[in-house]
Amino acid sequence: MNKIRNFCVIAHIDHGKSTLADRLIQLCGGVSDREFQDQLLDTMDLERERGITIKSNTITLAYEAEDGETYTFNLIDTPGHVDFAHEVRRSLMSCEGALLLVDATQGVEAQTLANVYLALEQELEILPVINKIDMEAADVDRVLEEIDEELGLDPFEAIPVSAKVGEGIEELLEAIVKKLPAPKVDLEAPLKALVFDAEYNAYRGVVLFVRVVDGSISPGQTIRLMHNGAEYEVEEVGLLQLQQVKQKQLGSGSVGYVIAGIRTIDDIDIGDTITDATNPTTDPFAGYVEAKPVVFSSIFPVSNDDYEDLSRALDKLKLNDAALTFQKDASSALGFGFRCGFLGMLHLDVVQERLSREFDLSLLLTAPSVEFRVTTADRQTHIIENPSEYPDPAMIELAEEPYIKGSILMPDRYVGTVMELLREKRGADIKFNYLAAGRIDMTADLPLAEVLFDFYDRLKTITQGYGSFDYELLDYRPTDLAKVDIMVNGEKVDALAMLVHRDKSRARALHACKQLERTIPKQNFKIAIQGAIGRDIIARRTISAHRKDVTAKCYGGDVTRKRKLLEKQKEGKKRARAFGNVEVPQEAFLAVLRADPDES
Amino acid sequence: MSAPSGHPTKRLTNFPQTTSSTILSSRTPGLYVHVPFCSRVCPYCDFAVQTGGTEKQSAYVDSLVQEIRSWGAQVRGQGRALGASGIETRQSVPAWSCVELFDSVYLGGGTPSSLTLDALETVFAALSEAFRLAADRTVTLEANPEDVTKVNLAAWRDLGINRLSLGVQSFDNDALCLLGRKHTSADAISAVRAALAAAFDVVSIDLIYSVPGQSADSWLLTLEQAVGLEPHHISCYELTVHEATPFFDAREHGQFVEVDEDTKADFFFATHRFLAEAGYFAYEVSNFAREPENRSHHNQKYWDHSPYLGFGPSAHSFDGEGVRWWNRRRLNDWADVLDEGRLPIADTEFLTCEQLVLEEVALKLRTAAGIDFEGIERRFGVELESLNVEVIKQLRRSGLVEADAAAKRLVPTLEGLAVADTLAASLEITSG
Repeated sequence: MNKIRNFCVIAHIDHGKSTLADRLIQLCGGVSDREFQDQLLDTMDLERERGITIKSNTITLAYEAEDGETYTFNLIDTPGHVDFAHEVRRSLMSCEGALLLVDATQGVEAQTLANVYLALEQELEILPVINKIDMEAADVDRVLEEIDEELGLDPFEAIPVSAKVGEGIEELLEAIVKKLPAPKVDLEAPLKALVFDAEYNAYRGVVLFVRVVDGSISPGQTIRLMHNGAEYEVEEVGLLQLQQVKQKQLGSGSVGYVIAGIRTIDDIDIGDTITDATNPTTDPFAGYVEAKPVVFSSIFPVSNDDYEDLSRALDKLKLNDAALTFQKDASSALGFGFRCGFLGMLHLDVVQERLSREFDLSLLLTAPSVEFRVTTADRQTHIIENPSEYPDPAMIELAEEPYIKGSILMPDRYVGTVMELLREKRGADIKFNYLAAGRIDMTADLPLAEVLFDFYDRLKTITQGYGSFDYELLDYRPTDLAKVDIMVNGEKVDALAMLVHRDKSRARALHACKQLERTIPKQNFKIAIQGAIGRDIIARRTISAHRKDVTAKCYGGDVTRKRKLLEKQKEGKKRARAFGNVEVPQEAFLAVLRADPDES
Repeated sequence: MSAPSGHPTKRLTNFPQTTSSTILSSRTPGLYVHVPFCSRVCPYCDFAVQTGGTEKQSAYVDSLVQEIRSWGAQVRGQGRALGASGIETRQSVPAWSCVELFDSVYLGGGTPSSLTLDALETVFAALSEAFRLAADRTVTLEANPEDVTKVNLAAWRDLGINRLSLGVQSFDNDALCLLGRKHTSADAISAVRAALAAAFDVVSIDLIYSVPGQSADSWLLTLEQAVGLEPHHISCYELTVHEATPFFDAREHGQFVEVDEDTKADFFFATHRFLAEAGYFAYEVSNFAREPENRSHHNQKYWDHSPYLGFGPSAHSFDGEGVRWWNRRRLNDWADVLDEGRLPIADTEFLTCEQLVLEEVALKLRTAAGIDFEGIERRFGVELESLNVEVIKQLRRSGLVEADAAAKRLVPTLEGLAVADTLAASLEITSG
């Protein structure tokens, strides 16, 4: 009866979501052969380059089924990386069904599981799709087994396809029609629509992406955003085809866009309910909880002159990336910058690359850190992520750090090395589950701080690429925190102070001292580099004084050369900061702040 | 900034434009000639040198004379002066037109002593004809021990050469071998003796230290031998590995291991202390004289912004005010450009006041005399002392300088001399 199907495609990274989406688009005639371009929905160069999807993109397709009827498919393409789970959830809330994509050569992976749980949470109808069957390494039977045992889904429902060569796609389209439920439609009820995404367009202002559940939206109508009660007049509504296509109305069951004179993304809440101002619904969606940043890093422009440009760039990025948070920061060593919050390391990487590439900025980033929770003797609880905010240790009753539950899927032969890695990273409550086909699902409670920097890369290395990782935030747990100060000839260098677990403090301090030893040039006196907790010195390196630097000859041709060298030195001095009598060049800061703290 | 180069006509159009028409102070200018020939090129040498037979030398001398004549005309401010190949000069009034006399002629290289006596005679004749030379001028020749023969010595004296600088480098045969020198220690010793007997005003010996494999003792032995011969002047240079030299390449490939920084410092200090005790006064980082009058008059010009005019490939010049220029480095290029009727200038720089002050500071900190505060204030309007009150205090505390309050100078101690480059960088020269 109802010819709408709202569904998304969820999967582990690189299992072929985007290619499958391309195929569906192509077969539904959403684009002419001439317009067809691979990875169509991945609109950003960066996404295309990295083969990942960062933003969620939605498209409306028209499918002429075998029964002769034309169905409207609203396909929502979702990001696959664990950092962007919140975007996945928002998309799921708009659907009735989900295509669960599994790579036939890889099988069920960590994020496949994670995404299944998300879909089940939303009570979606899940249709398993086995992709990449064209590949030699494809093992469909094994995957069917995994779907059955690990995911608890009906393997007989699974559709084998190859998005790349176009095999099985027609069967899939039919299955979408037959197996996925149509949305419930009620055009008479008061308007209730879910804002599942939004984008800022310089010409049109904020464009809301909505799923209309009850009622309808049309131009001229006055709508109300229920999170703050603000009212706006609808200017335009339409469908999200390859372009945004105006419509007279968006009715119950459909997915599309709304433009209503909203100026900035800050004015809206993703997950909010839109209703009619004159006839509001009494049953809004439960407010959507904003994804919290978990990784923090400070970004400084290499040249102080670029500060304004960086500020503007971050503002622009935030328009389309609600999860990015930032506030002003200053360092005596590096000047003015911003302390930024990210959803994870990938998010950090992507933001940094976009700033660098799209805005042409040279930037310095400090090593990422987490928010610690510190309760002082006066029963106040402070959230600290900058070492400079750390209270007097004598006043601290309790320090806590955020923990995650990490889950790793890998072939069982890597169990030993992965266990070692987990222990090194202060993993606790390590459990494992033997799965089908010689694979293990290992979980552990890990401090987020330990997972931040290079955990994923190291995991990939020690499992030779076969290991996959997913995590979710757990809670705050007590920790033994220490503030390590770095000093140069007795003067503290505030930019290099760090908050670390006590067990790791010596190694981290030594690492910082070694980097400074390597990068601070000799001066006319000995330089003592120390790492300390309070008054206890826990690491030390010494740079001996240089006794001779003068060049042997200074005749005709040497004068110019000598002067140029001096000019360079003086330039370098401008970029160095004096701590007491020691000059610390910018390179030294970078060496400490950027180096992998776990590599000695 | 490069000097304008017009299209090749017979006109010399590219004299550097100087900023004013008078030379500041009475710093007398000198003349430098670069002789780019050596019988073999040493593995540490980064000068513009090559091996070249008599034909090449002869062609070189022809071009050199042409260059000398062109400049001579320019200096005398003559409208048109024709050299051997018909080069005309164009009048512009550079500072040189007010030059009275040149009081120093220096033949460096390369191995100037490898020029034939005829060639030398031609060069000197051209110089005397083109420029007014002071009667009491110093005329320096750099020579290798193997060219020191009785005949040559006498001829050199006759040509007016009164200062001989001998490229001994070492009295240790192993070191000599590593340094690629043609002579033995014995050769060097007899050469020095012969030179001393030939009544030059000054005989100077060049030595190199911090040679890999050279022990402190063997170096001190060389110094003892040097001092024992009683030359008027000794130059001791730390071996420096320059880019694009065989030593550099060998180092990159791990075949040449430089002496470590600490040892280099040890050698430097040992050298200065030994020579001081032996009666040789260090007036500059690498230069030691028995008597004040033995100091290199010509080199001093480099250190006090005196003007000098250079001829030959890679030769540098300075107008005494703020303009420096230098010749093409390669012999062929240098000669070709002259052939085209233009001066073989590779590049020119026009120095700002700030740059001049920087140079002054850097150069003077390498000398025993140190920085003259009043001089700097007079010349540049910079009150160096008051800009650096704290820095100077600290340098004194560290034992790197002595502030001679009476004479208003900043004098480096031996320790300060050793780090003169860093000292120069730590002085503030602008009030901005």
